[in-house]
Amino acid sequence: MAIDPLKTVGQNTPRIDAYERVTGQATYTRDIKLPGMLYARVLRSNVPHAMIRRIDTSKAEALPGVRAVMTHETHKIPYGSGSISGGRQYSDAHKDITTRLRYTFNDHVRYVGEPVAAVAAVNRHVAEEALQLIEIDYEELPFVLDVEEAIEPGAPEIWSGGNIAHDSENRQQPIGGRTGDLEAGFAEADQIFEDRFTTQFVQDAQMEPRSALAHWEGDKLILHTPTQGVSNCRHDTARDLGLEDHQVQVICQYMGGGFGDKNGNYYFDLIAAAFARDLGVPVMVELSRKDDWLATHGRWHTVQDYRVGVKDDGTVTAIQLNGLSGMGPYLRRSGNVAGMDVYACENTEKSILPVHTNRVVSGNFRAPTYPQGYFGIESMMDEVAYKLGIDPVQFALKNMVRPTETKQFTNFTLDQCIEQGAELFDWANRWKPEPGSGEGPIKRGAGMAFMMFNARLGASSAILRVNAEGRYTVYVGVTDIGPGAKTTMSMLAAEELGVPLSDVDIVWGDSDRCPYSVGESGSRCTMMTGYAVVEAARDLKRQIAENGMPQGDSVLIASATPAPTTNGKLREGFGAHFVEVEVDTHLGDVRVTKYVTVHESGRILNPLPALDQIRGAVIQGIGQALTEDLRYDSRNGQPLTSGYYWGRHLTHLDVPQIENVFIETDDGLGPYGAKTVGESGIIIAPVAVANAVYNAIGHRMRDLPITRDKILEVVA
Amino acid sequence: MKDSHDSEVSRREFIGGTGAAIVAANTIPVKAQDRSGESNERAIEDVPLTRITLTVNGTEHRVAVEDRWTLTELLRDHLGLTGTRIGCNRGECGACTVLLDGEPAYSCSTLAVWAHGRSVQTVEGLEKSGRVSKLQQAFIDHNAPQCGFCTSGQLMSATALLQRNANPTVREIREALAGNLCRCSNYNAIVEAVQAATRTGGA
Repeated sequence: MAIDPLKTVGQNTPRIDAYERVTGQATYTRDIKLPGMLYARVLRSNVPHAMIRRIDTSKAEALPGVRAVMTHETHKIPYGSGSISGGRQYSDAHKDITTRLRYTFNDHVRYVGEPVAAVAAVNRHVAEEALQLIEIDYEELPFVLDVEEAIEPGAPEIWSGGNIAHDSENRQQPIGGRTGDLEAGFAEADQIFEDRFTTQFVQDAQMEPRSALAHWEGDKLILHTPTQGVSNCRHDTARDLGLEDHQVQVICQYMGGGFGDKNGNYYFDLIAAAFARDLGVPVMVELSRKDDWLATHGRWHTVQDYRVGVKDDGTVTAIQLNGLSGMGPYLRRSGNVAGMDVYACENTEKSILPVHTNRVVSGNFRAPTYPQGYFGIESMMDEVAYKLGIDPVQFALKNMVRPTETKQFTNFTLDQCIEQGAELFDWANRWKPEPGSGEGPIKRGAGMAFMMFNARLGASSAILRVNAEGRYTVYVGVTDIGPGAKTTMSMLAAEELGVPLSDVDIVWGDSDRCPYSVGESGSRCTMMTGYAVVEAARDLKRQIAENGMPQGDSVLIASATPAPTTNGKLREGFGAHFVEVEVDTHLGDVRVTKYVTVHESGRILNPLPALDQIRGAVIQGIGQALTEDLRYDSRNGQPLTSGYYWGRHLTHLDVPQIENVFIETDDGLGPYGAKTVGESGIIIAPVAVANAVYNAIGHRMRDLPITRDKILEVVA
Repeated sequence: MKDSHDSEVSRREFIGGTGAAIVAANTIPVKAQDRSGESNERAIEDVPLTRITLTVNGTEHRVAVEDRWTLTELLRDHLGLTGTRIGCNRGECGACTVLLDGEPAYSCSTLAVWAHGRSVQTVEGLEKSGRVSKLQQAFIDHNAPQCGFCTSGQLMSATALLQRNANPTVREIREALAGNLCRCSNYNAIVEAVQAATRTGGA
């Protein structure tokens, strides 16, 4: 389907702040210096589960240069609005009823890395030194790291009432539900397959270690913090501190990456705010890399048990999933596991229990519920296809979701993505019908996977202004976490207004100066805030047509908060990945030798960064497939592999060149038909790699990451 | 008063100890009360200071530094050059990479006193007469920064590479930049940008 070309949108456009990013002039939170500011550091629990009997800060307080020490005894500040309920921390109703309160400092500590005290001092060296002078007497409690052990009778109770996380009504209910008739589906099946797949915790690990700089002007808090959503961060912070929204200004002009769990506030924002209020001077809280790795949030690890019914002709008739998600001791986000709905099979049941353990806290990481879920279901289906002797591409085309009378899509290209990808990749020649059949110690194989990801529409706001000089200013609450949102928003305004991009200025990343934005998460920013920009531009054009351009000191201003809908249709981005790997069966190494992706993300607004969103996400997904992990010592509950080195994030030497093709469409919705891009690339990368490993060695790898030891164990 | 802080002590004390031996011969210790070289901290501790001379982006600086300061701290907190980023502060990520006498070095793992008598180039020194370098322009054109936090380090490692090898292969680029993590994982674009800045423009 050809799309109508546009003037600015669709052109490769270097980001408008690229100069600042390549000259060091971009100002990240930690680069800001305010007169008289103090530096704060956070002391963390070094035991996985304990009650604090006594905490003695007197020596720290006596250290010259220390200005204040904060603990659970001095500051009882709720974090997450007093709620720990996943994805529902914006809910006032839940705040009132939750029985599992989380505070900035808790006397009941539940993981290694949990904040127990903070010190503000004249410089960071003094603050660090003071942390060592704080004496804590812990009453250690039994701990549990494994999700299955955590829900056994008699397991150590991280929360009274058991370790299954509460939902928004304090119930311990599984996430999921049933569709169709599961029993009939299994009855109809010729064969039933069962298998278990497990995935690991993956830390977001953005390059900028987190910091927060707070100062007060009277009863108003000004907070500089690297957030993916200034609006949501402001609201969370106000509620946690008992303020009104207008009493908090959140500013984030540049941030060193955000991969999901920053569309809100963090406890260190609250620590900075409280210190600054108490001391009457600006205070910067700085997290070390280790702090950041262990005491912010990453992708929840999962255990997934699948049961699939299938006819001999390859038609899937029933899918059942029972799963556990490891949320750490506090519920920050849902714990759900996605993926089943990419199959047409109507007889399904899903039951996922989010479980508390004494590991680090889990939260959102790029397509939060997807890569782990897709690893499970598409590994399972790959296995079924081989068992039935069906080419996985044919199995995919046979069983993937398709539009029906009751399930309509705004447009549908999943089949096209799969077919085009198979051709570009040369699937017919690279895939081995007999897995593990390669000659020699280095075995080559090919795998594939396919996905869809909701490209939902929703409300967000933009303001647009023009002055007599003919300068157009866009006001949007985006923080530009890396995909280039500032550039995209400016391009959309330029396109709709019919003016050059150079005539457009942007005001961003400031909750006082910008209207509400959903923030940059859920791949929604372009679709929702971007669409608001288009609507505001339409209004401004109309005003200009009616009134003429403003003269003198006058300006014209338009704003929009559209809430478009799809009229009951599904709006999805689609994609298919094809991977070739080489597995060294002597060393256990896996090397990705070819990676082809085909994505349909609607109209591509700025091809340059869109391509890199896909490529970067794929590479993160390869890391999840092969290396990244957080391992614990089961004897003492200590995390062993935090930080960039032990966390084994991929480097320049580890990554292949990713070949991507976008199928461009325009369904008439969103800004010029744009759909979701940012998260799409990571969703099926882990499973596509895993399926290629199976094709290479003939052994199914059921547990991520696929490390050397696991390969050698099966090929030996 | 306890004279060290355990959390950061292992690396700092170790390299501090080694560093002291290296710099003792050619730097001048400063009395604690003489802190005239300090820019923005109050004297609250009896911390040893050493007066050093170094060249940063072509400008000579004479500064009194605390022996425990890393080169990153000196640059960022005392010379106002915040373009050099701290990603890990322990030599794992390369965001703090600067050129020390033309060679890439992790400034977080280099004590400020070690820079005595040496020439430091930071990302702020790449622009000449208001014009970005060919490499910086290639980074702009090829979308090499996503979040931008690793960009300074990638630029410095690549600058050093291109100075010693005007026409590196893709393999050589990847090897030269192997010490510079990018969690946005924009590795393909970064390599393409460096290729574009080679003598043949990657052709």
